[in-house]
Amino acid sequence: MSDVRVDLKHGLLCLGLNYRTTPVEVRERIAFPEAHLGEALAQVRALPGLEEVVVLSTCNRVELYARQEQGDESAAFSALTRYIVEHFGLQPEHEEALSFYHLTREETARHLFRVVSGLDSMVLGETEIFGQVKQAYQTALGAGVTGRTLNKLFQQAFSVGKKVRNETLIQRGSTSVGSVAVDLCEKVFDLKQARVMLVGAGEMSRTCAQSLVSRGARSVIVSNRSYDKAVELATEMGGRALKFDAWESVLHETDVIISSTSAPHFVILPEMVSQVMRRRRWDPLFIIDIAVPRDVDPRVNEIEGVYLYDIDALEAIAADGRRERERQLAQCERIIEEQLLKHGFASSVDRADQAAPDSPGLSIS
Amino acid sequence: MTTTAWILCLAAAAFLAAVVRAVLILRAGRWRDGRSQRVLMGVGLGLLTGFLYLRGHEVGQCPMKSLPDVLVFVAWSMVLLYFMVGTTYRLSLLGLFTAPLVLILVALGGLLPGAFEPYSERGPIVPLVELHAAVALVAYAAFAMACVTGVMYLVQERLLKQHRIGGLFFQLPPIRELARAIGRLVWLGWLLLTAALGMSMALEQSVAESKLLFAWAVWGLYGVIALLYWRHGLSPRLTAWLAVAGFVMPFVSLWIINHV
Repeated sequence: MSDVRVDLKHGLLCLGLNYRTTPVEVRERIAFPEAHLGEALAQVRALPGLEEVVVLSTCNRVELYARQEQGDESAAFSALTRYIVEHFGLQPEHEEALSFYHLTREETARHLFRVVSGLDSMVLGETEIFGQVKQAYQTALGAGVTGRTLNKLFQQAFSVGKKVRNETLIQRGSTSVGSVAVDLCEKVFDLKQARVMLVGAGEMSRTCAQSLVSRGARSVIVSNRSYDKAVELATEMGGRALKFDAWESVLHETDVIISSTSAPHFVILPEMVSQVMRRRRWDPLFIIDIAVPRDVDPRVNEIEGVYLYDIDALEAIAADGRRERERQLAQCERIIEEQLLKHGFASSVDRADQAAPDSPGLSIS
Repeated sequence: MTTTAWILCLAAAAFLAAVVRAVLILRAGRWRDGRSQRVLMGVGLGLLTGFLYLRGHEVGQCPMKSLPDVLVFVAWSMVLLYFMVGTTYRLSLLGLFTAPLVLILVALGGLLPGAFEPYSERGPIVPLVELHAAVALVAYAAFAMACVTGVMYLVQERLLKQHRIGGLFFQLPPIRELARAIGRLVWLGWLLLTAALGMSMALEQSVAESKLLFAWAVWGLYGVIALLYWRHGLSPRLTAWLAVAGFVMPFVSLWIINHV
């Protein structure tokens, strides 16, 4: 057992950068395209002294996990940095903007456990990263560039990630306006049956509609003063465009209205919605009013079966969600520390100096 | 205490545990798939089935002739419907809302005068009479479940209207599904009661007029609700209110028909 622990820690390192350390203009230049990841993995694995490697490349981070057989860790970090600069042909100004963190042994394990658990993500507790890490590991495993150490480390990380999500509320609540819209909509209808209409094609309404479509909304209608823009957005979402003067005529066939016109007055009035509800035979109607000034008369919310949320209400719910997740952070960190100990990564580092790449005490070059 | 009394106590304990556990989990925000809730409700169902079986042997017929037994039978039917409706339509938290009502019925069934006592008179067993009574009580259980689902609808509607997005909100099913579930349960109960009343017409032995009168009144009430719901004449909120308030009638009628 003790042999395994020594083996796991020995030579383990991670070189990486993320949204906190490096601006997107630089990150986008060193993203590993999925199609060429296998080739890149072989090249990294061929660097002197490196035995195993996993490359995690997402829009928010690029991290190279490796195991060094022997030799100086700083030499391995230099080799990895050099590889990235040369592989992506970075200009000197971009090279200077690179701000890598260098993690070794327990720091690497802690960091990976935090990443998999969503604690290092831009949106705290998000779940997409779990799948991205799994995909990165599967690719490396398929390419034959992992070994006993990284296999074990990543398996442990997945189990820790699941434990953190199952035993805390880090995933609970919505943290963005788009996800709040989806969550609310799911509490009114089965999303797969929901027909969405955008009245106005602003950026925020596009985000909300995209969230609904990505979760399976049945259909989308886009109505905008500029018909060309409506057509463009409808095409993007696989829906249909509607002339702006015709949107009222299809209100009764719509389950979700996302309104974001630039009108200086209310465009959706209680009388109009009352009529629509009678035609809908009391089938619920969910209205998201993103416009400022508001498009929907707030009295509409008093009509039975109509659920109206304006931008302030959505933002407030998202802020609650973020606060709730932040409250869970300490418990998540505690689980990770317990798991580190359990897996033989006993920490000698003071908690204040631990893994978050933006915290002091880590080597960032 | 007799074996049947012990079994009923254990069943009540299982439903009490289901309520307490669900509330604790919900308050801690850790509600996942409600597996522990289903297990406790399942244990309670098993115990109630055992109770009804033994009680049937004790009284030598279906145990539906005294008010305490009727309440236990309705509670048993409710849990059975919970497993059928809750799992088929994935109505999350239906168990949490069902367990308290079941607990009350079981507790009353064990505490009311006459509980566990033999029936005073034992006439000949007529299968159609037994079937009529059983179907009628299952119909009442369906009305009870419509009442429970109605409460869930009203809670979820309030949370949605007032933008109170919290733990309970995330666990309750979509409001459209709740509205449909109420309609389905009212229809189910009404159809079963129709069948039970139909059977009563075919009976050679007469059923007490007061019982029939109350049963027809309940049938009429739910028939109107079902018809209006079907014709979209009632809004979901009003249907939910009627399902909740309407259950007072069958509930009270259980008392009356056993004492008149």
